[in-house]
Amino acid sequence: MIEFDYSELTPSERALQAEVREFLDRELPHGSYHPALGFHADKDPEFSRKLGAQGYLGMSLPKRYGGHERSAVDRFVVTEELLRRGAPVGHHWVADRQSGPVIAKFGTEHQKERFIPGIARGELSFCIGMSEPDSGSDLASVATKATRDGDGWVLEGRKIWTTFAHLHDWAIVLCRSTPVAELTDKRQGMSQFIVDLKSPGLTATPIPFIDGTSDFCEVELDQVFVPDELVLGSIGQGWAQNTSELAYERGGPDRWLSSYTLLAELLRLHEQQPLPDRVADVLGDALANYWVLHSLSLSVARSIDSGGAPAVESSLVKEMGTRFEQDVVTAINGIVDEAPNMADTSAFIRLLISATLAAPSFTIRGGTNEVLRSVAAKGLQPSGGKR
Amino acid sequence: MTAFAADDLVADTVDRLLLDLCSPDVVEHAESDGWAPELWNAFSESGFPWVSVPDTAGGSGGTLGDAAAILHGIGRYAAPVPVAETGMLAGWLLAGSGLEIPGGVATVATGLSLQGGHLVGDATVAWGARSERIVALVQDGAAWKVASVPTSALAIERGANLAGEPSDLVHFDVASGGFDLAAAAEGVDADALLQRGALSRVILSAGAFRALTQITIDYTNERKQFGKTIAGFQAVQQFLVNTAQCSVRVNMAAERAVRALAAGEPGIAIAAAKVLTDAAVAEGTRAAHQAHGAMGVTREYPLHQLTRRLWAWRHEYGTASMWRRRLGTAAHQAGADRVFQLITD
Repeated sequence: MIEFDYSELTPSERALQAEVREFLDRELPHGSYHPALGFHADKDPEFSRKLGAQGYLGMSLPKRYGGHERSAVDRFVVTEELLRRGAPVGHHWVADRQSGPVIAKFGTEHQKERFIPGIARGELSFCIGMSEPDSGSDLASVATKATRDGDGWVLEGRKIWTTFAHLHDWAIVLCRSTPVAELTDKRQGMSQFIVDLKSPGLTATPIPFIDGTSDFCEVELDQVFVPDELVLGSIGQGWAQNTSELAYERGGPDRWLSSYTLLAELLRLHEQQPLPDRVADVLGDALANYWVLHSLSLSVARSIDSGGAPAVESSLVKEMGTRFEQDVVTAINGIVDEAPNMADTSAFIRLLISATLAAPSFTIRGGTNEVLRSVAAKGLQPSGGKR
Repeated sequence: MTAFAADDLVADTVDRLLLDLCSPDVVEHAESDGWAPELWNAFSESGFPWVSVPDTAGGSGGTLGDAAAILHGIGRYAAPVPVAETGMLAGWLLAGSGLEIPGGVATVATGLSLQGGHLVGDATVAWGARSERIVALVQDGAAWKVASVPTSALAIERGANLAGEPSDLVHFDVASGGFDLAAAAEGVDADALLQRGALSRVILSAGAFRALTQITIDYTNERKQFGKTIAGFQAVQQFLVNTAQCSVRVNMAAERAVRALAAGEPGIAIAAAKVLTDAAVAEGTRAAHQAHGAMGVTREYPLHQLTRRLWAWRHEYGTASMWRRRLGTAAHQAGADRVFQLITD
């Protein structure tokens, strides 16, 4: 059965929370930046470097490579504070959340020394190289080919939905290194490579997103050479490594805070004046859900710190958290008096328009809700009659 | 099982008692007979109804968490026993005011008033006719007082909630001397009682949701259509996931709210938990019933014992609409820059 053990922040975690709040109040006073919708945020390398200097990046990574060996809960505390303010986390987000941890777990000594210090300082940026034009939820069908060539591998194929590939430094690319025809299971024969996005033969082309931004890219890999020293983990173990990487993508506050800044701006509009009932109802409903999702996400982080593998729990949280993110946008659209106008520059309307346009992606990115339900259902097993 | 109890022994013991004595048949018979005497006697002998009421006041001692573990069990087994009323609500009022705790069922009435020393008003009272005493919290000038009335002195019209549990209309017109009256404990007012009552419904619902999820999983893993168990179909898995998510949310909310009240700082916890429970009742009972097909809407299969209780409890101790509005007001008072602390504190 699925278990979410109740957990509270310890005094030292509360102290970290207070410290992060004070730091962000100073660095990001209201009005000094455009609040983002969760992790779909601006790329601001200078801000990322400041976070790195504070010790807020690479928190779970080994100290000997510049990480901080702090807990998943500590990282949860920092992430929650960043996301609820819509901080510009775009530069370091993927590197900090998943590339750093997978390199720490599967990388060679050389790779750890080369990449982790820069990730923890907030300097190095990474992309996710999983999806392809013909491989979305069915990731084992990736067709990007890795072929042995001298002291390395040659990659050939196309990756898609690669956020900031035209601006970032590196991508961890999942490839097929043994043809499916030679295997009994298509999940075998896959490998991961750390690819320099400035490599000859690599072209990153922005794909205009529904909201008019161009952070999403398609990446063409045309005979891109990757030396052996940048093979991540073991050749042929790409599927297992990738699955472990996906676990970092789920269950965190990034899966329920995406529309929080919109709600906060709605509240700001009504400060110092009477609160209409219909606004109170939307605020009240959202507050109740944030309140419980915070506890569920904290429980997942605590479970990771205790050596648990809460894959099923993370999937349950992501599936309901992302639907809730959409519900917030729907509810707020239901109570605005004037039709949102694209020429409006107020923070609230700007966020409302972006959130409305981006909301369909909330339940798709990082594993569609349909796939998550299949993962979660595996944890829902008969009890033998016990209640 | 649940993590409410400070001592797992409480949760284990109550679970064993319910497994032995609270089969779906017992629940069904209690509904037609109005009472499950064997079950109540077993609870009574173990002292469970008075857990969290101090032993110095005539209760069984223990923490609010222990009481929550017992209520969670009652929710899981749809047990037709007025434990929440007897201990966590009436027992709490009586103990706080120094009045005697009766040996039998006690329950609470709200909305009554004192007029010239008379206790008057009409109230719908859970398990009213079955009780030995009905306890009311009434205002006497600026002060809150606890009134304890022997049920035998009252005119009662029988009724029942959606789950078929007694919910009786009680007419009060009792002269002074006909009931006991004492000052309520510090901090005990109508809102404190409302919050505590709402929390009792949240905990019971959390238990019912745990069982609802489990029997839905069990049923869909036995039932076969198109040559395989229906739990193998993605469309059915969606209902299982929805039911489990509702259970997870309500259980986490219940536990956080119990701890908040036990620490003396309920804040928004109970309001949030009640709002979440109401939404989960709508989503979760729909999913569980859909997964069960026609079998789930018969009286012979026990799903209805859980879903009817969830539908009944959602109406008790404040509507979701009231609690939601209250939360919205709390958010407004905190303001845009500080509202997040309501979520994390």
